[in-house]
Amino acid sequence: MIRTEGIHKFFGALHVLRGITLEVARGDVLVIIGPSGSGKSTFLRCINLLVRPDEGRVFIDGVQVNRPEISPEWVREQVGMVFQSFNLFTHLTALQNVTLAPIRVKKLSKDKAEAKARELLARVGLAEKAEAYPAQLSGGQQQRVAIARALAMDPKAMLFDEPTSALDPEYIREVLDVMTNLARDGMTMIVVTHEMGFASSVASRIVFMDAGLILEEGPPAEIFEHPRNERTRAFVSKILR
Amino acid sequence: MTRKLGYARERLVRSVETILAVLIIIGVVAFIYDVMAGSRGLDIGYISANWLRYVRAVEINLSVTTISFVLGMGIGFLVGWIRTVRAPPIQKILQDFRQAEKQGRARGKPALVATLIASGLRHYVKRVADAYVEAIRGTPLFVQIIFAYTVITVSYPRLPGVEFFAGVVALTINTGGYQGEIYRAGLQTVHTGQVEAARAIGLSRWGAMRFVVLPQALRLVIPPLTNEYIGLLKASALLYYISLLEITFLSKQENYLGHPFESFALITGIFLLITVTLSRLIQYFEVKYRIPGLGIQAAPG
Amino acid sequence: MGLPAYVKRQRQAPILSPANGVRVVEMVVGGLLVISLFELALHYDIRDPNLWVRYGISFVRGFWGTLGYIALVLPVSVALGFGAGWARVSRHRLLSWPSAAYIDFFRGIPLIVAILFAFLYGVDFIPERIRFFLEDALGISASSLPYAMAALALAAHSGAYQAEIFRAGFQSIPRGQVEAAEALGLRHFQSMTSVILPQTFRLSLPPLGNELAVLIKDTSVLGAFGASELVGLASEFTQQIPISGGQLVWQFAIWTAIALTYFVMTFLVTRVLHLLERRFRTPGLEVVSL
Repeated sequence: MIRTEGIHKFFGALHVLRGITLEVARGDVLVIIGPSGSGKSTFLRCINLLVRPDEGRVFIDGVQVNRPEISPEWVREQVGMVFQSFNLFTHLTALQNVTLAPIRVKKLSKDKAEAKARELLARVGLAEKAEAYPAQLSGGQQQRVAIARALAMDPKAMLFDEPTSALDPEYIREVLDVMTNLARDGMTMIVVTHEMGFASSVASRIVFMDAGLILEEGPPAEIFEHPRNERTRAFVSKILR
Repeated sequence: MTRKLGYARERLVRSVETILAVLIIIGVVAFIYDVMAGSRGLDIGYISANWLRYVRAVEINLSVTTISFVLGMGIGFLVGWIRTVRAPPIQKILQDFRQAEKQGRARGKPALVATLIASGLRHYVKRVADAYVEAIRGTPLFVQIIFAYTVITVSYPRLPGVEFFAGVVALTINTGGYQGEIYRAGLQTVHTGQVEAARAIGLSRWGAMRFVVLPQALRLVIPPLTNEYIGLLKASALLYYISLLEITFLSKQENYLGHPFESFALITGIFLLITVTLSRLIQYFEVKYRIPGLGIQAAPG
Repeated sequence: MGLPAYVKRQRQAPILSPANGVRVVEMVVGGLLVISLFELALHYDIRDPNLWVRYGISFVRGFWGTLGYIALVLPVSVALGFGAGWARVSRHRLLSWPSAAYIDFFRGIPLIVAILFAFLYGVDFIPERIRFFLEDALGISASSLPYAMAALALAAHSGAYQAEIFRAGFQSIPRGQVEAAEALGLRHFQSMTSVILPQTFRLSLPPLGNELAVLIKDTSVLGAFGASELVGLASEFTQQIPISGGQLVWQFAIWTAIALTYFVMTFLVTRVLHLLERRFRTPGLEVVSL
């Protein structure tokens, strides 16, 4: 349901994405792995148009979205995003963080939005922290609120940009659990991560990206145990220490 | 192809914006010129003949400022230091004594009384310093200048150079208060814990000051001090009111003699030159002598 | 808990507490002491009824005048400061360069210089038609226009400093939150009003409060031109003391009273703003460093 064709992106003279063609079916969990600087985060941002591709096309449910006629806000309602640094709004409580967009963008009534928000917070295991401010929450809790916030918009798919990289080790598990449950419930997900345990157990497909190109694609078993490409092999062996 | 187009367009937009921005600024200056110089036009001859007088005048500002600043440093450092001295509240002293008694290190009633008195004295000296700083910060410099001038002229009506003297007095007292704040903040930022750590590794109280506290405090204190100097220099322009023959006085005079735009351009030009140069200097030194993580109001996170 | 009692008390620190009460008493007593010292040293009596019979009216008029100028200048300076601060951080050079020029200019020259030239020539900058409109339709006399322009210069000066405060506030908000707002589908305007501005406001409040105190004190400079505020009217009065047969030491009393008035004003403002800060404090939103 998400498809990209030949995505190129330049930052100045730097050719960051050099022709990314990818397809993600509904309910799939795609995990993108690769060394830092390979363009993974940039690619993710091309999908919800936080970054505009210089060349290529992005399709969501068959509709090409990187066109001037399509409003980026609409695209972002279809595809939610969770960031490495959580990016919670520090002046709002957890509940307010989750209800802000549904109220302002989807024009939901305050009561409906709050009811939904409480339900989502409960789903990520933070029902009792609804009135807490981000600074009063641990990293893992903040990230789970961020996930609830993205889910509140009823997206068709979710993008995760290294969701656990900024977390202390003891909080990684709780966030991965939420993501695993999400996948099990059938959410279409594209996840950039270094958490190979998560990748091997939850991913339907793994993509290895390096220097702006997709070097290898395949099911987890294949990528982790029998990588075909040499660079993939080198990367995987370093990570799977 | 897309890349090339997108790129060139971006650069074009930027160039257009830059040109427009510069035009706006020039336009505003031209408008001011038009209103103030009008039909007379710009009298370059006046500027080339008289710029030196303005420089001589601003030298007076600079000398008043510098003298006051240096004198104020002495006052300021003393005040700042007094305000960082710790005077524990009565309860704590009593508590410490009770603890010492329990642990068998009783020091007797006389020692207790002496400590209480010393602490009380420290507390009230500190309060005096606080009062001084609050009074200076809470009242306008202009009022301070007028007050100082009035006191001096009424008490010593025939003092030569009374304007300069009054100016120095007022500015010194003023900057003493503000510098006191700066030194206090600088000392306090370093003070906690590090003095104890320094003593713990064997340094004396003076050694801790010299090798641990002061080096850091100095780096912390120099940027705000330079800002204070610049602020004091600008404040010295107020001294025209008490008839000190400095640059504002000259500018006002020349303005009435028929050179409005030229005197305006000269005085603003000279001040901008000095303040911008000094600001750039601070920035340069801040970067060069920076200690990562050390700042009077360090940014969170 | 094992912590000494005095530490506990500091932590809770409500507004009306014995510690604060002591501080207020200390301040009042200290203030009285200081004034008495001045009176002794300079041989004057601040409560001399002869003085106040004659000066009292000017003093009250001056006080209201100062308040009037503050009320006039404050909103203008905040508007200028916010606008310039916002333009200063814009990506468009069209906005950032002119605003930088404005900010650097008014911060680089002394306030008195700006007010001086605004007072002398400000009126010439107003187009004739608007001038006539102001005079005829709004009844603003031609003689008060220079003072209005002087006040405008004061507003521009304060605005330049506030612009820097707002700029620091805008820049303190982590970029990631803006990105997250975008990713949620919020339009630029919505992310401005729901995410950026509320936080800018909370971050900027302390330094802005300080700037307000500075503004109150800076209105005194208007007195150099005879504006109808505390300093201006006091100068007027002191200048005619020798003629009308008053005592020279009255000047000391007058300026002490004026200094005291400014002190009380700035003190109240800073305390009230402290209280406001406490009410609006959000855990985790640190004061911006300048």
